[in-house]
Amino acid sequence: MKQKVVPTIKLYDYLIVPVQIELDDTTVEAIQRQILEEIEDKQIRGIIIDVSMIDIIDSYISYTLSETAAMARMMGCHTVLCGIQPHVALTLAQMGVNIKGIHFAMDLESSIEILNSIKD
Amino acid sequence: MVILIQINFEEYDVAVKIKEEKDIVVARQMVKDIARRLGFSLADITKISTAVSELARNIYRYAKEGFIYVKEKKEGQNVAIEIVAYDKGPGIENINQAIMGGFTTTKGSLGLGLSGVRRLMDEFFIDSEVGIGTVVIVSKRRRSF
Repeated sequence: MKQKVVPTIKLYDYLIVPVQIELDDTTVEAIQRQILEEIEDKQIRGIIIDVSMIDIIDSYISYTLSETAAMARMMGCHTVLCGIQPHVALTLAQMGVNIKGIHFAMDLESSIEILNSIKD
Repeated sequence: MVILIQINFEEYDVAVKIKEEKDIVVARQMVKDIARRLGFSLADITKISTAVSELARNIYRYAKEGFIYVKEKKEGQNVAIEIVAYDKGPGIENINQAIMGGFTTTKGSLGLGLSGVRRLMDEFFIDSEVGIGTVVIVSKRRRSF
């Protein structure tokens, strides 16, 4: 197993990724790689990225998250971005950032509900 | 530097040299602390630090090296934060295109950096000369509510 950037939790065939470290470009790219590897290793069908501890998401971080969701989709996974803080949502919306191909939820419970409700 | 604007760097409270990718995080954390100390709201602190993150990344990506300067601006009762991003990089060929948004010369980018910064801040000034460098000056007033 390669070095993990963030600890993850497997629940059913979902992968929960709580991000609790400051996101710089290298870190967010490393998280992307880690998620894709874990999808393959653990037969994952849904990803939940918890960003409730993150207080700055800029255009490059949101681009990479969106790109990760698109890559995961090609591997058969849906991605939920969970717990975006209100001022982060405000900032991203005001900048004109549009995160595509990803589901959003307030908390882990609703993230799991969203993934449960998606039928491929 | 042939750039029109003259900046007296000694007026600024803090300077961060942007040379490595890690410096982007250092710059935005530093500005976040200053904005908090000046009493900005949480929403504005986030907007200001996100704007600095974009400016610092532009320096790192395009100029490789440059500086972020920060100062507190007092005008009577009003407090504002002013940030300068300064580099001697390649400069921007078409400034209008760069600040319109949706245009990028980089793979893996939304092209929302500068246009996003302009939307997040109250005032936005940019000057750039190809082969000489780029200066971006932004500021945000503290709102009381």
